[in-house]
Amino acid sequence: MESLLDQSSLFLQQLVNGITLGGVYALIAVGYTMVYGVIQLINFAHGEIYMLGAFLAYTMVTVLGIPFFAAFILTILICACFGIILDFVAYRPLRNAPRLAALITAIGMSIFLQNLALMIWGSQIKSYPRDMFPAIFLKPALSIGEVSMTWMQVFMLSITVLFMVILHLIIHKTKIGTAMRAVSQDKTTSALMGIGVNRVISFTFAIGSAMGGMAGVLVGLYYNAIFPTMGYIAGIKAFAAAVLGGIGSVPGAMLGGGVLGIAEVMGAGYISSEYRDGISYAVMIAVILFKPSGLIGRQIGEKV
Amino acid sequence: MRWQLYKKDPRFIFLSLIFLAVLLPWLPLGASSNYILRILTTAVLYMILALGLNIVPGFTGLLDLGYVGFYGIGAYTSGLLSIHYDLSLWVILPLAALNGALWGTLLGAPTLRLTGDYFAIVTFGFSELVVLLLRNELWLTRGPMGLPGIPPPSIFGHPLTHDWEFFYLILLLLMIVLLVVTRLQDSRLGRAWFAIREDEIAAQCCGVNLIRYKVTAFAISASIGAMGGAFYAKWFKFIHPDMFKFWESILILCLIVFGGMGSIAGTMLGALILIPLSEVLRAVLPQGLFNARYLIYGLVLVLMMRWRPEGLVPFERAQAKKAKLARERLEI
Repeated sequence: MESLLDQSSLFLQQLVNGITLGGVYALIAVGYTMVYGVIQLINFAHGEIYMLGAFLAYTMVTVLGIPFFAAFILTILICACFGIILDFVAYRPLRNAPRLAALITAIGMSIFLQNLALMIWGSQIKSYPRDMFPAIFLKPALSIGEVSMTWMQVFMLSITVLFMVILHLIIHKTKIGTAMRAVSQDKTTSALMGIGVNRVISFTFAIGSAMGGMAGVLVGLYYNAIFPTMGYIAGIKAFAAAVLGGIGSVPGAMLGGGVLGIAEVMGAGYISSEYRDGISYAVMIAVILFKPSGLIGRQIGEKV
Repeated sequence: MRWQLYKKDPRFIFLSLIFLAVLLPWLPLGASSNYILRILTTAVLYMILALGLNIVPGFTGLLDLGYVGFYGIGAYTSGLLSIHYDLSLWVILPLAALNGALWGTLLGAPTLRLTGDYFAIVTFGFSELVVLLLRNELWLTRGPMGLPGIPPPSIFGHPLTHDWEFFYLILLLLMIVLLVVTRLQDSRLGRAWFAIREDEIAAQCCGVNLIRYKVTAFAISASIGAMGGAFYAKWFKFIHPDMFKFWESILILCLIVFGGMGSIAGTMLGALILIPLSEVLRAVLPQGLFNARYLIYGLVLVLMMRWRPEGLVPFERAQAKKAKLARERLEI
């Protein structure tokens, strides 16, 4: 009886951890999904924006001594600018080039940024100083029996949900959101209707990168470890989440992130912790093979 | 007069290069000659790998990010077969190539139905899974301890030990791969691949079976990669899962993008320039920053796509080349 209770509380604890992690994946996945929706490009460098977000906040807090919450907001803004610059420098010149060229540029940018970070910050794992945020963050906010949720997890989850709601409102209630949806359906026609397509694409990159940078800071806090290659693994997992939910769909990215986060934590806990990353790859490959439209994406026929 | 002959027919350039390569081990280079030979052996190995990868992005127009997975499969096939069964190199090479082709077909058949970007990401996932398997299946691969003590290959009972012997061996392999790849390029298969690369829908309308030709391309590419891996294991005599990480795929992709995607001469030139450059960087860069050379590779990818997407030596079809030569002759 005792062990049964232990088992179930362990399961619930894993569930809580999985949902928190999934929320972060969802934040990154949104960036992939929105860019893919608008210009049909897998922006491999998105994972690097996430990594840069984590490092920027780290540098601001440790070197410049900016208080954590200010650094957090500044990081989000700088990452948004990064996104715009990335699009302007790397992808815009190739807008009408073959898709293969844009994909190669994306992977090249990703490698470049990752190694730039390696040169600037070194390969050693860094961690945020523990005294930069209120100590209450590490204390449990809720605990029912053995299951507990720290304030950190509450903070992460609420930020995720808050920004997802804001994003939903932007996409569905504002003028620029309507323009984004129009561009994602047909670039030429929307240009004819007077939409500044390049401006819309820049905006999409800005929003996606802002969310990516935010996720970087949150994960850096959660695992207390930031390193130059963190973006490449998380980026692929987030991409898996985007595919799982249906690429191009923002609610899909949220759902996919949640499912993937839980699957990963459960898999690591119950199946094999060595294959923790492998579980995400396997889920991704399986979804792409058997249901490429994802859980709630719609099937789009190829345009001829 | 002579020079014009060179200009007209690239085969002359090629033959003189081969002649130089064969002479190379006997040139008086002093103490550093073994070092130079090792670097050149690496460069030729990467030429073979790049020629193999070139079939997928270069000929067929699909981005393959998991090529190094097949390289790793080939290396471990070769290493395990020679340690446990002590097979001859001439049995191991075809077996490794077959094993690569098998996995290429298994991965390609379901995934090549997808659009190019999904294919890229699935191949990436595949290569990561290969590394995870190599690392964690200790009973088979000894995992992170690596696989040391692979016996060297022997030819007619004479085990290869000198650097020049390995250099000749890899040159021989390059000749075989080069023959296969050039013949493929001008075959019916090659024409179908180029048709797919230029326009999938038009190709399909002309009766090209997309899946069949794409899977064939992927399997042949995988088998060449696996063969390169097989040689690598026999040459280096030690393999480790970390040698087959995603980075290697990027490096090989960078070689073909730099040299000219789809162009066989360009692919080889890319390897001949970038691989020795990487060795120079290894000597120049401080220990911890050695991996930062990928900064340059990433930059090469971006800049080439922006300013010179056709690469150093642009791709040219044999038919078109003949027609051009004929036109020039008429004008003279």
